[in-house]
Amino acid sequence: MTPRSVPLARRTEASLYGLLAVALLGGSATAGDGNPFLPVTGSEFRSALPSGKEDLIKVPGFLLQEHPVTNAEFLAFVRANPQWQRGATPAAMAGGDYLSQWLTPLNPGSHDAESQPVTRVSWFAADAYCEAQGARLPYWYEWELAAAASPSKRDARSDAEWRQQILDWYARPASAPLPQVRQGIANVYGVHDLHGLVWEWVQDFNSLLPADADPEKFCGSGAQNLQQKENYAVLMRIALLGSMQATDTGHALGFRCARDLRNPQ
Amino acid sequence: MKRLVVLLAGVLLYGGGSGLCAKTDLPSDSLYHLQARLLTQSAKSVGFDVNRGHPTLVSMFYASCPAACPMLITSMQVYESHLAPAARNRLRVLLVSFDAARDTPSQLEQVAGLHRIDLSRWTLASAPENDARKIAAGLGFSYRALPDGSFDHSLLITLVDRHGRVIATTTTLVNDSRFLAKLEEATARDEP
Repeated sequence: MTPRSVPLARRTEASLYGLLAVALLGGSATAGDGNPFLPVTGSEFRSALPSGKEDLIKVPGFLLQEHPVTNAEFLAFVRANPQWQRGATPAAMAGGDYLSQWLTPLNPGSHDAESQPVTRVSWFAADAYCEAQGARLPYWYEWELAAAASPSKRDARSDAEWRQQILDWYARPASAPLPQVRQGIANVYGVHDLHGLVWEWVQDFNSLLPADADPEKFCGSGAQNLQQKENYAVLMRIALLGSMQATDTGHALGFRCARDLRNPQ
Repeated sequence: MKRLVVLLAGVLLYGGGSGLCAKTDLPSDSLYHLQARLLTQSAKSVGFDVNRGHPTLVSMFYASCPAACPMLITSMQVYESHLAPAARNRLRVLLVSFDAARDTPSQLEQVAGLHRIDLSRWTLASAPENDARKIAAGLGFSYRALPDGSFDHSLLITLVDRHGRVIATTTTLVNDSRFLAKLEEATARDEP
């Protein structure tokens, strides 16, 4: 097990400011639950997505869950919301593979499975889960901003060593069992597992490809517009999420929730 | 503040009521399982299933769109103009704006006037971001706000049946004969 929180020295001044903002606004970063919403400092940054004439994207500060939602956390949700149990969910909301890895609609499997990220959830199911927590899925720009951070830098994307580390994670065989959450080192915000564990739904996944792009041709024409071509790991996310339908599910596709900083629950 | 609370309670009660009771007998693959609230050109709050019981053409747009959206609206008018009057009377059309900030009811009403839209069968509405995103997700429609205030978006028309099941889609704004045939079939007779 890794320590529960990052050493204080690793937090930047900016993330401390975020924590302060949460405290002042009456939000709670932990609220006694196992997957706290942590502040990510707002920034103007260069996204890998093309954005027309303007180079810098403004992302206001927001709160992001510490790790991807686990099977145990999702189990609590489907217990409280039986319409989201496997078998009860309409086909228009989740494909046939929805939670198919669980032993039964109310049993994710072994004890180990409880701390693994929940996968095989449709976008609609992920969206409903977050809504039930008084939260939402993160927007792509929010996810990308948080995922640009290393354990020591808010934007580590130009750090070749860090980039290589991420690519090594992606090179792991897809058939390997999913690791548990929070096994690695948190980034400067205290957030775990943005790379190297699962793909994650974002709220606006259906905005990532040019509207009339054919996903199969994405690697040809569509990719020419993408920025930061050296950030393969992030580009792969864009290509994957942009080609999904909202009812799709995947063995390695999970999610986590986010909240506006101004409106903490 | 108090008024706001009462208003919110009203919305919650109304939304919850229409959501839970009406949807239990929907087919599993119906898009009307989507829970989303729309504000129409006449400032009425309705659900995405506002046209339940009628075959319906659905698409998404934004009113300040310079060229593509006017074309989309015209295209939908042309498709329905191919129908016999009785068939056309059975058809409904729903256009959802993903630009709720600018597409107020009066703005939508203006668009309707500009295009001489038949508001007895057409609904123009806007949805807040989360609801618009859900509707887009259900339709397989993609859109993205660009920094200059415009949107990159699909040109996709979806035909759903009386129960909200997708019958056909088209990205061809003129003369998709396969799509037109489905439209004629879906509106040929009253529900048995």
